[in-house]
Amino acid sequence: MAKLTMDEWLARKKNQRHFSDNIMAVKNISASEGKFVPYPEWIDSRFKAVLEARGYGKLYSHQGSAIGFVRQEQNVILVTPTASGKTLCYNIPVLQNILEAPESRALYLFPTKALAQDQMHEIHSLVSELGADIGTYTYDGDTPDDARQAIRKKGHIVVTNPDMLHAGILPHHTKWQKLFTNLKYVVIDELHVYRGIFGSHFTNVIRRLLRICRFYNHEPVFICCSATVANPKEHAERLLERPVVLIDESGAPRAKRTFILYNPPVVNRELGIRQSALTPARKMASELIKNGIQSIIFTTSRLNVEILTKYLKDILKKWGPIDEQFVTGYRGGYLPNLRRKIEEGLRNRRVMGVVSTNALELGIDIGDLEACIMVGYPGSVASTWQQAGRAGRRRGHSLAVMVARSNPMDQFIADNPEYFFSQSPEHCRVNPDNLLILLHHVKSAAFELPFQKGEKFGIEPLEELLDYLHEKGVLHRVDDRWHWAAESYPADEISLRSINPENVVIVDTTNRGNHKVIAEIDWDSAFTAVHDEAIYMVESQQYHVDKFDLERKKAYVRKVDVDYFTDAMTYTNVRVIDTFDTRRNKRIIVEHGEVQVVRKVVGYKKIKFYTSENVGYGDVSLPEKDMHTTSYWFTVPRDILADLPFTREDIIDGMNGLAYGVHHLAAMLLMSDIHDIDCCIGDKSGEWFVQSGGGRRVITESASKGLEDETMRAGDFDPTVFVFDAYPGGIGFSELLFNEHDQLLTSVRNLIEGCPCAFGCPTCVGPTLEVGLKAKKVALSILDKLK
Amino acid sequence: MIMNVRDRLNRLTGEAEKREKTEIREEILTLRRRIDAIMARKPRSSAYKCQNRYAVTRVLEDVIHGSEICNDYGTFYVSRSVAEGSDSHGCRTISEIGGLNMNHAALLAADERIARSDLERGLFIDTETTGLSGGTGTTAFLIGLGWWENGSFVTEQIFLRDFSEETAALVFLRETAAKREFLITFNGKAFDIGLLSTRFILNRQRDPFIGLPHLDLLFPSRRLLGHRLENSRLVTLEEQILDFRRRGDIPGYEIPGRYFDWLGRKDAAVLEDVFLHNRLDIISMAVLAVHLAELVDPAFCRDESNDADLIAASRLLIERGELDSAMIILKATADKGCGRFSFEAKKILSLLYKRCGQWKRAVAMWEEMIDKNPGDFFALTEMAKWCEHRADELERATSLVKQALQYAEESSELCKILVHRHNRLLRKLRRARQ
Repeated sequence: MAKLTMDEWLARKKNQRHFSDNIMAVKNISASEGKFVPYPEWIDSRFKAVLEARGYGKLYSHQGSAIGFVRQEQNVILVTPTASGKTLCYNIPVLQNILEAPESRALYLFPTKALAQDQMHEIHSLVSELGADIGTYTYDGDTPDDARQAIRKKGHIVVTNPDMLHAGILPHHTKWQKLFTNLKYVVIDELHVYRGIFGSHFTNVIRRLLRICRFYNHEPVFICCSATVANPKEHAERLLERPVVLIDESGAPRAKRTFILYNPPVVNRELGIRQSALTPARKMASELIKNGIQSIIFTTSRLNVEILTKYLKDILKKWGPIDEQFVTGYRGGYLPNLRRKIEEGLRNRRVMGVVSTNALELGIDIGDLEACIMVGYPGSVASTWQQAGRAGRRRGHSLAVMVARSNPMDQFIADNPEYFFSQSPEHCRVNPDNLLILLHHVKSAAFELPFQKGEKFGIEPLEELLDYLHEKGVLHRVDDRWHWAAESYPADEISLRSINPENVVIVDTTNRGNHKVIAEIDWDSAFTAVHDEAIYMVESQQYHVDKFDLERKKAYVRKVDVDYFTDAMTYTNVRVIDTFDTRRNKRIIVEHGEVQVVRKVVGYKKIKFYTSENVGYGDVSLPEKDMHTTSYWFTVPRDILADLPFTREDIIDGMNGLAYGVHHLAAMLLMSDIHDIDCCIGDKSGEWFVQSGGGRRVITESASKGLEDETMRAGDFDPTVFVFDAYPGGIGFSELLFNEHDQLLTSVRNLIEGCPCAFGCPTCVGPTLEVGLKAKKVALSILDKLK
Repeated sequence: MIMNVRDRLNRLTGEAEKREKTEIREEILTLRRRIDAIMARKPRSSAYKCQNRYAVTRVLEDVIHGSEICNDYGTFYVSRSVAEGSDSHGCRTISEIGGLNMNHAALLAADERIARSDLERGLFIDTETTGLSGGTGTTAFLIGLGWWENGSFVTEQIFLRDFSEETAALVFLRETAAKREFLITFNGKAFDIGLLSTRFILNRQRDPFIGLPHLDLLFPSRRLLGHRLENSRLVTLEEQILDFRRRGDIPGYEIPGRYFDWLGRKDAAVLEDVFLHNRLDIISMAVLAVHLAELVDPAFCRDESNDADLIAASRLLIERGELDSAMIILKATADKGCGRFSFEAKKILSLLYKRCGQWKRAVAMWEEMIDKNPGDFFALTEMAKWCEHRADELERATSLVKQALQYAEESSELCKILVHRHNRLLRKLRRARQ
């Protein structure tokens, strides 16, 4: 069978009614011409020759202005599309400067090791074409000990990640004296990644970096690049705490692109159930790949990566034998070698289809892909465009398809495509002065250099923090200086990315004599992914978890071939510790403040492949996790509910439905990732909470006991919906939600009222299997009472 | 509602309500350490503990003899002691330090410059620090120095009564070091000197140690004595090599805690053990240096010397190109009889002869070895090589290999090599006969 080109395939699909009926929107983005400027005069002639030999006769206009500002020692933030030559915007000033002043140094920060490796190739080839003696090295956890000393002294350009800067470089800055006394430029790529918790840590790492630079009497210039976000300048200035010039007009030419928004058909109108987004994604991806159109498929979870990879392999195998690498998964947790092999395979087209989490969203060079399928809204406008951009980075017609899932966010976009296309991307927010985060970095900073009275570090009163640490015996105050006075190494106490820096190693014991590490997983995810009896998947191979050894941080697995996967059930209990602000809104009490959250994984469901049937349950016994964070909540007084003609169970279902909508729309309103906030229903006292999941909905006494209390009556219970920051200490969302409560509740009412389903569906109050058949009705009645 | 930072922190860390698990773990760990320390302690220390509980806070000058020193950068405390030549330290006397041979010290350090210096120009250094993790947050609060002067060993301990005294103390250290030409430490390359270098940078002071010749005793200790020690810590070397036993010594991990305790309460009683520990470290280093230098000195090669040490010493000497010295030591060891080390010595010695082209001696050695043990693979193989490549005695070579094959375990690696050699010799023989 002759293979179709992408245009032919697309034309054929548009003629198929069962496909075209589900297209909610098509947006064609036409090709655009480039804008060019000549090289500035100050560029070294050797350097210019190298660039010209590469075919860069001129600079794109944005490159020209970026290097111009940097030359004037202004900090810049560059926001232009993928493949617009962003790397030259920092490589030109950096290399030019080293050519002019061979002692000068530059520090490159990339959010991941993989990106750093990728950039190294680029700089290495530029340097070798230049024939100049410019030492460029990566310095990360993988750098061998014997190489480290040479890098500290000779590295003109040191390429690293924020984690290494935090734990490996700043606490040893005296060994890096050469770098810090000559540090001219700091390059930060993918600046938009540093938002939320990671960004809050990052700002503090930059504060520490600048503090060290000041010690060596130096002030570097920052050159930053970012994907498109709503507030790049503000974000950069917040992270760097200094003025930054924004350059956001791209001079690079663009090829033609097509963006399709696809909504799977409703298969059960009463229950409002749509076809799973995986189904059309699987069909499109397999057709594209069969036609030799190299494709990337993004899913929103690691589990879906594995499921979809398995499905695609199954289909493609029916067509004939395929190379193991022909279709593959890709996600964090795969070992680095495997990931390098997949990236390489994508570049040389041995890998024709890759199913990935957002791990491939950033600028890792994987060559020119032609098509991109997103299974589900990636959670933000910025991510959507970033993922779509992975197809057709350089030339030719490319395609991006977003397949909507059933949840409120996806459906909102499917129903309002014009809203999505006109929507500006998200704001990046950080809260570097989150007390816990700040405190950790004050400790690290004190370890690096004693604090002097009058110094500034963040907005909180520094002296109070220092005295607190003095009292704790961590710092020692003498005269007007605070010295580190503990044996520990504070940078090791905190990881920039998640609360627990520990990893769990996954060990394959299939071969008795030869145990092998096949993957690793962060501590928090381990509880839901590798509990005893779980099915864990790597490259679509299933493994059964025989034992999750908490002590040793290892999960022992063996290969199995079963027709199901597992999904963990957790529950959450929230207790109010302190209320920061209260107000009465009509009849409900709206508050925000500090809460204690206790979570526990209690069991798992076995779910059959393809049919998604529930084929069994199991219990899990793992310790509960405890965190303090900030939350926004509203309480519906019991007397309101007493008037309603529903049973206690119905009321709980209704509240659950209401909470479902609130949670999803809050994430949308905040433009945050849905996982950055979490939701729970309970009693304000913390004595009662609603346990849901696994098809059970009961009021129980506490997470640890998990016992159903039969004497509990709805009348004793003031149901409270908590929406809290999923990070210890909070990230600042709850106050925003407190202020936006009215708008939030109105949108939830509009969402539920406007939803065409009969009893509730994943778009409004959640799937009826989870919230029951009356949830929609009860939720609306409660909302009516609140008018 | 406004809360102060402290309350907010207490709440966030959950301190007000419950202790965190790590804290409990810490406590168990501390308890264990304390029990260990008590078990290890001799009566004197436990008496000190009691005394400490009831006595009033003791002033530094009453506990540590010494005085405050003042310079342009401030004040600090220095305690100076002299160990007389006749004092003993384990199996040696202090006077033996004076006999440290500079050529051999230079050999141990692999730094020729030390050979051109005098012992009086050397500086022994050992620091006590606020932690072992390294990094800029670790301070050397006690800098112990030692040197040889007029027939006795002087130790000088520079003490920071608080962090604020660091700059002045470092400047004083630099002035003391200015008169010195080389350093001797134990693990100073990886720890003490690097740490002091960090301290100089942080205090914006020039580092006097850059480029100074440095004999770090850890490396030669491992090389020469590692084979019979369970670890290469200085205390282990003291006990097993120098026959010096400390009484009631403070364990190293307790030292940072003592200093933090001092900073908080300013009770000098907690420091007494620390100063003693540091001073003993320095003296032990000096005595150890002498011991190590003697190991690589053929003049000190005795019948009662440890054979394995001698073998290790000869290997180091060969590596440093001191072949004559190596040969003397090896000969002495080889002559001791037919034990394992004698055999080992012969093996190395014969190879050394081979390397120097002294074939006669080498061959005599191999013949002797075969004589004693007709299944000696090493000697048989070396002889066979010699016969094949040097003496052109192919038949003798063949029979030697055959002899070796008789003793070789079937299908072992060794056997394969022998068979290979044998076949090659047979081919050569055939060709020679044609």
